[in-house]
Amino acid sequence: MKIEIVDYKGMKVISPAGEIDMHSSPILRKEIMAFVGQRITPLVVDLKEVTYIDSSGIATFVEGLKGAMSYGGKLKLLGLAPQIREIFSFSKLDKVFEIHSSADDIIQG
Amino acid sequence: MQTEPMATISERELATLRKRLEALETMSELSSLLSSAIELDELMPLVIDRAKQDMDAEACSILFYNRETNKLEFEVAICAEDDTCNVLKKTISLDMGQGIAGWVAEQQKTLVITDARSDPRFFQGADAATGFVTRNMIAVPLIGRSGLIGVAEIINFNRQDYDIELIEQLCRQFSISIENAIYHRDAIKRERLKQELEIAATVQQSFLPATPSCSRNAVSVSAFSRPAAQVGGDLYDFIEPVDGMLGLLIGDVSGKGISAALFMAKVISDFRFLARGERSPGTVLSRLNASLTNAPRGMFVTVMYAVVNTGTGGVTLACAGHPPAIHVAESPARALAVPSGPPLGIMDFTYPDTPLSLHPGERLLFVTDGVFEAKNPQGERWGYETMLAVIEQNSRQPDLMKIIVDAVDLFAASSPQADDITLVEMHLHAPHSGE
Repeated sequence: MKIEIVDYKGMKVISPAGEIDMHSSPILRKEIMAFVGQRITPLVVDLKEVTYIDSSGIATFVEGLKGAMSYGGKLKLLGLAPQIREIFSFSKLDKVFEIHSSADDIIQG
Repeated sequence: MQTEPMATISERELATLRKRLEALETMSELSSLLSSAIELDELMPLVIDRAKQDMDAEACSILFYNRETNKLEFEVAICAEDDTCNVLKKTISLDMGQGIAGWVAEQQKTLVITDARSDPRFFQGADAATGFVTRNMIAVPLIGRSGLIGVAEIINFNRQDYDIELIEQLCRQFSISIENAIYHRDAIKRERLKQELEIAATVQQSFLPATPSCSRNAVSVSAFSRPAAQVGGDLYDFIEPVDGMLGLLIGDVSGKGISAALFMAKVISDFRFLARGERSPGTVLSRLNASLTNAPRGMFVTVMYAVVNTGTGGVTLACAGHPPAIHVAESPARALAVPSGPPLGIMDFTYPDTPLSLHPGERLLFVTDGVFEAKNPQGERWGYETMLAVIEQNSRQPDLMKIIVDAVDLFAASSPQADDITLVEMHLHAPHSGE
């Protein structure tokens, strides 16, 4: 997995690419928790380059979400490919995270 | 009488021979030194201390190449002042191409610098941070079978009759010893981790019911669970919350390894405590959710909890982000659309109860995602729909769980099992059917 921090119209977006599993999720965790440490909101993660995510990857988002909630912040996910969206809806995680179709959607939202 | 011709050796030749002899002695001594130490922490100081003495040098150091950061880091340094070594180890790292060591690492060539301060490649930062004054330096790349290991440096040496080829040759030998020591260290780490995981797996198994089946009146429940090589987080439990009721829990903890095993142990022990005396599975999951909300590192668990009346076959289900259960009846096998809340441990939620009637001869089948997410060597996943089709074709088979597992194994072929596989079946027997 590779990870980039992209600046989109003044909003910092965490953009991981590849598979997020128990081996790669610690790298993602470091980036997300750094954002939480700076009390950034919304925490935006773009998943369009992500091909697979396992439960340890999802736990990383849960940790980020809980961290953000502690200062009234939000975690927003965008760009979910159909197979990733399926994982989220299958485990009812779409009830947990705010899922958006695009970064503009978040900015306007 | 014939006399042997006298061989005459010039002083210069004699000096060369002496040097060769000395080189061979050094080689042989260092060889035995290198083969005597297998621990990396012992090996490195031994060798560089010896190099420091031989070269009458003020300091010697080894920088290791960190593949992840593409930087050189001080692994070991021997100087007159301990403080200097500490500063180097804790604060200084070099980019590839930066400083003498960076140049040597990048070019993979030995460099002898007689006047460090006038060499533009010299990195002033290390001296500035330590207060050490570097005059001259020999830096040799350490290259093993798998590429660059790092750079060895001999600093402020006073001996002038050194043999650079000999130093390079010793460094080649040293590189192999370092590589072997790293391999040895990693093997020990792997073995330790493997042992810890084996213990975690044993502890985890001890939390599951002692026997994988249980019968009360017309209802029987049975389970099949096969952990993946790494400790996963599948769990199941059978419980009698109140008389005449049988409870069946299936779940999947996020993550793998020791943390997942510990979390799973907490989930099961909290569940057993909270489920006692309670008929409503939704209430139990809501309480269990509250007890798991402070789980560290975003850990969560997907669960399905079913409580069946062992006399009537009336079932109540509650679901927390777990894959749908399958109703295996006369009609086509179908996934049960049970209203579900998010997995436990994430956010406050009130989990609803869903009632369902199980008729005699019918079954409910519960699975974890390891079953239908099994991968084949082409990287394709088995899929929930394929699993439904297999269940449909074999809906009357008494050993349905085994048939499903065999189908998963056939599909996965040589691919290693990446996730735990768990299936639990609840069966309402037809009266006098002998099933």
